[in-house]
Amino acid sequence: MTGGRQGGRCGGRWAVAACWLGLIAAAAAAADLDDIRARGELVWGADQEGGGPHVYVDPENPTRLAGFEVDLAAMLATELGVTARFQQGQWDRLPLLLGRAADCVINGIESTPERARDWRCSRPYFAYALQLVARRDSPLDSPEALAKEGPRGPWRVGVLTGSAAETEMRRRTDFAVEVVGYDGTVDCLEQLRGRVLDAALMDDCIASFNADRFGELRGIGRPFAGGTYTILTAPDTPRLSAAIDEALGRLITDGRLKALYDRWDLAGRQQMLLLRDAAEVPPARRGSLADLIRGALPLLLRSAGMTIFLSVASFPLAILIGLAVAVGRLHGPAWLRPFLAGYVEILRGTPLMLQLYALFFLLPKVGLALPALVAAILGLAMNYSAYESEIYRAGLKAVPAGQFEAALALGMTKWQSLRHVLVPQAVRIVMPPVTSDFIALFKDTSVCSAITVIELTKRYSVLALSTGRIAELAIVTALLYLAMSWPLSLLSRWFERRLERRSERSQA
Amino acid sequence: MIEVDSLAAVRAGNRILEAVTLAVAEGTVTTLVGPSGGGKSTLLRCLNGLETFAAGQVMIAGHTLIAGDHPPRALERVRRDVGMVFQGFNLFPHLSAIDNVTLAPRIVHGMPPSEARSRGLELLDRVGLSRFADARPATLSGGQQQRVAIARSLAMEPRVMLFDEPTSALDPQMSAEVLDVIVELARGGQTMVVVTHDHGFARRAATQVVELVAGRVHRAGPPAEILTAGGR
Repeated sequence: MTGGRQGGRCGGRWAVAACWLGLIAAAAAAADLDDIRARGELVWGADQEGGGPHVYVDPENPTRLAGFEVDLAAMLATELGVTARFQQGQWDRLPLLLGRAADCVINGIESTPERARDWRCSRPYFAYALQLVARRDSPLDSPEALAKEGPRGPWRVGVLTGSAAETEMRRRTDFAVEVVGYDGTVDCLEQLRGRVLDAALMDDCIASFNADRFGELRGIGRPFAGGTYTILTAPDTPRLSAAIDEALGRLITDGRLKALYDRWDLAGRQQMLLLRDAAEVPPARRGSLADLIRGALPLLLRSAGMTIFLSVASFPLAILIGLAVAVGRLHGPAWLRPFLAGYVEILRGTPLMLQLYALFFLLPKVGLALPALVAAILGLAMNYSAYESEIYRAGLKAVPAGQFEAALALGMTKWQSLRHVLVPQAVRIVMPPVTSDFIALFKDTSVCSAITVIELTKRYSVLALSTGRIAELAIVTALLYLAMSWPLSLLSRWFERRLERRSERSQA
Repeated sequence: MIEVDSLAAVRAGNRILEAVTLAVAEGTVTTLVGPSGGGKSTLLRCLNGLETFAAGQVMIAGHTLIAGDHPPRALERVRRDVGMVFQGFNLFPHLSAIDNVTLAPRIVHGMPPSEARSRGLELLDRVGLSRFADARPATLSGGQQQRVAIARSLAMEPRVMLFDEPTSALDPQMSAEVLDVIVELARGGQTMVVVTHDHGFARRAATQVVELVAGRVHRAGPPAEILTAGGR
């Protein structure tokens, strides 16, 4: 059984690589302007979790989307003679929707040479600058102050993963900062308020939009390192991208875009002049595959190290907690058993992702801010302890009743019998499923990227999207995973064979 | 050494033992015989508290067990003075023979490992198995396993030894090995109670034979009186 499950997993990874390749092929058949007109619908991709003022869920009416880009998409669609339909996607993966689920992406996507190389970029429709934000009581008084370490060591600065703010922060080697990537701005600001972060860097419009909700935060210094937003379309849709450029041009020159930005309190004369005169961003050149792998491999290897660290730090903890829960449920005091059963049911019955969120984002609200790594290890350990406890419960039950009686008849206490006779045998019995679970946990560490821990899958995702080498890096990453999990599979099979041999011998 | 007074036991509504009264003197061997389902094993397991009973009282090796649930501490004290050997051996499969023998003295009495080991080796020698000290139970024959189990019980220096059909799972040759060890123990003055179907053994070693039928003491007395010639 174990062998089959592992086979499925390994096969799964290759299937993922194959899927990526398939997606790239599928992107070649993107819908251009004629298809969109025939369909009567312009599908635009954005992430409603990214937050305001771009696209966000209206707090007054959660079924409705609000944001200046929602209005912009509607105006553009009208210009093209169709209606607009929203398509949800994760922000740093929005371009992957193009040609499949969406015709264009309108979501604060910054113009960069890499994007101009891999996708079609429209003319700019918004100018932004980066604003540093910190708590009002913070000793930070300007972005330049980041150059010297803070009272607690390097400044911990939150950014949106894949954003220009992240690129800028990682580029600034003169800053003494630790950069922490988030999937949503609100999560990032919450953590700043909860003192997990020292500062956050984001587009100025996002900072001012959230100013009321986060009254204890303030902008530090003037905005810097600006740029413009662009609308992305698939590479093979020249007519759609030309039509979008023309439509934007009309909206800019006849003042309708300014009117829109006025409504959202985003416009200034400067903003509109910038948009009218903005120069095109020159596309980046694609480096050779050898260069790419030479550059990416050290990063991937380091993140593979994080994957291993998360696994080996959390699994022993999961085993200890699981064993304690199993023993408690079978032999503990009667009043304790329902609580332990509840512990197992809650942790098995809710997603790991949600548990990690609770540990990382909710605990600070009650004054317990855990570092991301601690929350990740604790979350994995608790989640897996529920599964381990069920395995050990079965293992303890599989030890013949005569063993317990023999131990008791020798004058041992219940706990001595458990400690020296029952548990050691149960541990041997459950070795194969436990090893197999270790492989599953190893793979599940990728969920920790949701709480800012960068492990192998996250590193792959960031690298693949910034370089556009989605398939090549997928294969390298898959090979790294296999190189790590295969030895574990072999170990698990070895345990199983050893156990089978032993039971054959004792029957003989 | 053992006094059982008016013992009654009920399992799932069935009376397994009823008004069982018997006495075992120090240094004697009592065998419990009778048809299957007569209550022999249940009676034996009541003697060291592995099973509870509904009425009556057991006095054994200076301890008293009364009807109903026994407090854990009291049971531990009783079991340190009363050893038990099972039909299925129940050796600890994850430990070598010598570790099976030394485990309880070490963790129950806190005996230093070196002392426990040298005493354990003596006991294995006594049951003829010192060569197999480091063997795992799975590599030993049934007769050898049962002899290790006897050594394991003796390691606690019990005042009473209980044997629950110690040879039923063994072929005649292995049975003989094990019975020789038990007879040897009996000659050394070990007080013991043996549940057995083996009338030959009863004739050879028993001081007293108690026949249990349908949960009651049917007959009790010296082997010559109870076991008619030609019986099994």
